[in-house]
Amino acid sequence: MSVLTNIKRKMFSEQATPYVLLLPAIIMILIVVLFPLLFSLYTSFTPYKLTRPDTLWKFVGLRNYERIFTDWDFWVAFGRTVLFLAIVINLEFLFGLGIALLINRITWGQRTLRTIMMFPMMFSPILVGFQFKFIFNDNIGLMNNALQSLGITDQAIPWLVDGTLAMGAIAFAEIWMSTSIFAILLLAGLFAMPKDPLEAAQVDGCNAWQTFRHITLPYLMPFAYIAMTIRSLDVARAYDVVDTMTGGGPAGRTELLWTLIARTGYDSASMGKANAMAYVSILLSIAFTYFFYTKLVAARRYMGGAQ
Amino acid sequence: MKLLGKITTTLMAGATALSMAGGMAHAGEFDGYTLRVKLIGGAQYEPLYTRIPEWEEMTGAKVEILSRKNHFELDREIKQDIASGSINWCVGSNHTSFAPQYGSLYVDLNVIMDDEAINAISENVINASTVDGRLVQLARHSDVSNLYYIKSLYEDEKNKADFKAEYGYDLMPPETWAQVKDQAIFFADPPNFYGTQYVGKDEGISGRFYEMLIAEGGTFFDADGKAAFNSPEGVRALQWFVDLYEAKAVPAGVPNYLWDDTGLGFASGNVALNLDWGGWASYFNSDDSKIQGDVGLIRAPKGSSGKRTGWSGSHSFSITEACDNKQAAASFVSFLTNFDSQMIEARTGLLPTRPDAIEAIIEESKQAGDDWLVHVFETFGASMAEDAFAVPSTHLWIPISNELFPELQAAIVGEKNAQQALDDAAAAANQLIEDEG
Amino acid sequence: MSSQTKTTLNWIGTFIVMLIITMPGIWVILSGFRPLQEILAKPAIWIPQRLTLDNFRAIFGIGETQIAIPVVAYFRNSIIIATTSTLVAIVVGISGGYAFARYRFRFKNTLFLGLMLSRTVPGIALSLPLFILWARLGWIDTQFGLILVYVALNVPFTIWLIDGFFRQIPKELAEAAEVDGCTRWQAFWRIEFPLAKSGIASAGIFAFLTSWNEYALASNLTRSTNSKTLPVGLTDFIAQFTTDWAGMCAMAFIIIVPALVLTFIVQKHLIAGLTFGGVKG
Repeated sequence: MSVLTNIKRKMFSEQATPYVLLLPAIIMILIVVLFPLLFSLYTSFTPYKLTRPDTLWKFVGLRNYERIFTDWDFWVAFGRTVLFLAIVINLEFLFGLGIALLINRITWGQRTLRTIMMFPMMFSPILVGFQFKFIFNDNIGLMNNALQSLGITDQAIPWLVDGTLAMGAIAFAEIWMSTSIFAILLLAGLFAMPKDPLEAAQVDGCNAWQTFRHITLPYLMPFAYIAMTIRSLDVARAYDVVDTMTGGGPAGRTELLWTLIARTGYDSASMGKANAMAYVSILLSIAFTYFFYTKLVAARRYMGGAQ
Repeated sequence: MKLLGKITTTLMAGATALSMAGGMAHAGEFDGYTLRVKLIGGAQYEPLYTRIPEWEEMTGAKVEILSRKNHFELDREIKQDIASGSINWCVGSNHTSFAPQYGSLYVDLNVIMDDEAINAISENVINASTVDGRLVQLARHSDVSNLYYIKSLYEDEKNKADFKAEYGYDLMPPETWAQVKDQAIFFADPPNFYGTQYVGKDEGISGRFYEMLIAEGGTFFDADGKAAFNSPEGVRALQWFVDLYEAKAVPAGVPNYLWDDTGLGFASGNVALNLDWGGWASYFNSDDSKIQGDVGLIRAPKGSSGKRTGWSGSHSFSITEACDNKQAAASFVSFLTNFDSQMIEARTGLLPTRPDAIEAIIEESKQAGDDWLVHVFETFGASMAEDAFAVPSTHLWIPISNELFPELQAAIVGEKNAQQALDDAAAAANQLIEDEG
Repeated sequence: MSSQTKTTLNWIGTFIVMLIITMPGIWVILSGFRPLQEILAKPAIWIPQRLTLDNFRAIFGIGETQIAIPVVAYFRNSIIIATTSTLVAIVVGISGGYAFARYRFRFKNTLFLGLMLSRTVPGIALSLPLFILWARLGWIDTQFGLILVYVALNVPFTIWLIDGFFRQIPKELAEAAEVDGCTRWQAFWRIEFPLAKSGIASAGIFAFLTSWNEYALASNLTRSTNSKTLPVGLTDFIAQFTTDWAGMCAMAFIIIVPALVLTFIVQKHLIAGLTFGGVKG
């Protein structure tokens, strides 16, 4: 009898334990993310204006969504955001891979190099924004000063005004800021790589490229997907950079979803509409993360590591 | 301006209303009370706050400064406070462009303040400070722009001869905006030297366009309250900015310029003409400036309607409706806008809102033999009295500006023609207006 | 190509890459030690002619300056908020990561994915609703309010890394200890925890850097020296009319140094932690 209750109790507690262990995390997320999101979901069905609290109780159904779905500027910003993310994440992967391969071959002073490699990770996104706004300033910026001193141009190139150049400058800042994440994770992957297959490949007479293509790269891909998942978790960090460098302008040429949301919500005080936009951007972020996450799970399975 | 017309009558009514609290502080009047305030921060604004301990000593109250931020951040913070219903403070810095957004956050000062404190301030400014017939703010100093120029350019004989040959009239500091355009194109030698420049983003370009629209004889809203800036006058106004950009008479970076860019750019000596605020006057003639001693200043030029541009705004203080001690707040606000306070700000180059303080600062500069400051205050005093006008008094000014300025930029950088850009902006503005109705 | 030339080429390549990585940051930090006139000079002055601590004096309000920035208070807030939130995130992360690594339970995968996705919500979309909630609870402009937000921000990633790490450690180790008479807690504390140290350290450094550098939410939830952090303080240098580049660059230096030191100390664990934590889980 007593043995039976004992077993029962143990079973019960064994079942409850994981939930108890997860409880603090779940409560935190509920308070900080879920409740606020439910509130903003509600406001996206109202004409809520920050400065008129009573508008919170007026229900307009899907009007905000209809507005943004028929708003050409919104879709341009949406498309630009997707394109921007696709381009910078891929470039960050390529550069990160290059850096990891370079550093992996170096034996002397590698620890210092690794720290230098992570240098940009220590910069706050807002600081990165100011830094590159300063560097790309057409009048006093490092970039134009350098080009003029080297005699490449005598013009003051308006880096942050011309549409293509401005997007390029922003992408440069973003890539500068986030390539480290890829480099460090891919380097970790190279370190963890077993030596046997490499040696076997050499014995089989594979050249360097073949070895890289068929052995190193497949092994590294899970690490790349981790990096991409991590990056896609907080791609919206780019908001601080863009907002500081151009604020989405001029003439909306560098407008991304997040700058549009911020201006609609705070400067124009139309929070209802801004929250409708925010929901679209949340879905976008989730789609990106989910895409990389499924890739990651598949890659893990390929590695034989997953449960 | 039409919008402000009705206000004067209300103001008269307000002036005769009984005021409750004295603007004059009495010793120990508010012993033990803590006044919570949110003030605009920044180098130009802070010298005034050195007077706060004086007021504390006089009244026995204590001042707690909850935040001290630049105006855009303060604006965001105040909007959040309204949204969350956490108005636990009494006095906030305000600005005539921002004030209409805040709805019923602030009290009508006509009701709680001394007539004396209100009447001391110039009527023009009081009108601009009134929203829907309520005086929601008391201005500490005003801003209006006038035209700075490099004097030596106009004294150069070769310039004079070349200009006359090309444009058929004498080279003189410009009287109209059409002349500014001619001269700016004439002086420009990009990328080393530019004819002029303008702030090209945010409310800055909206405001500059707005004053040009008025000077061209247009209106921002029509009689029904709909956007009317896509009129022929509006197109002419915008075309002025477009033409200068196309002619490369302004730096290619202007669509990203804000106020520091134009001010510092002019002080660096490679811009001929610069429409800018009074607060820069001392700086342009200081050791930090490359054009020290070579700066001229004239009233802002006229548009084709014969009216001068004169977009003006005033920095001010407001008292919240939720304030638990409005007498103390009123005493604080009238102290910070009284004659002595305004003189402190005037000595740093800011333009007082009290006519008596303007006279006094001119007198003081004369005594000190500072001809430049005398000229500055006379010029700005005159344009404040005769040319100044505020932005339309509607809480939609900032939201409409947010729709307008990207379109203005699109026209400036040549993505759309002026008419198309203004039509698009007007459509967006009308949608905002309809949503209100 | 001889291996000698290969090595040389590799070094040259590395050097160029390192230059690109460090130049922008170093230029900004260097500008913090130069007078404003020199930074703004036209034509550019490349070799600093005068190095000065004036910008730092100005920030700290030493000597004759127009305006001091309460940088000591910002620094204190940043340290308190970033360290506390990192520590709490690690404890919560260990607890959650252990649950995922060692137990089977219903909704396990859904819960895991849900936690991850909660991190994808852009700060700008979260800032206003969070503000309104925090205002109701009286947590605006408190260190506590920000710490809570940062813990929630960091927990998903921390759980992920630590979960992967615990899975690396054979279950049998802990089970053997339990057979020897340890409680489950003792087995965890003495056997599994020490083995997971690298993973925990790398989760910690990511959490710290996120909290230390976060701006979008902090700029909304902080109000005054009670809770304003260094990145938020950076915007103090933008006044209505002017941006004080020199002061801003000096402040940048102050923000970066602690992050740099910490990363250097922990980076050995970082590589090890990331190697095992992420992939093989």
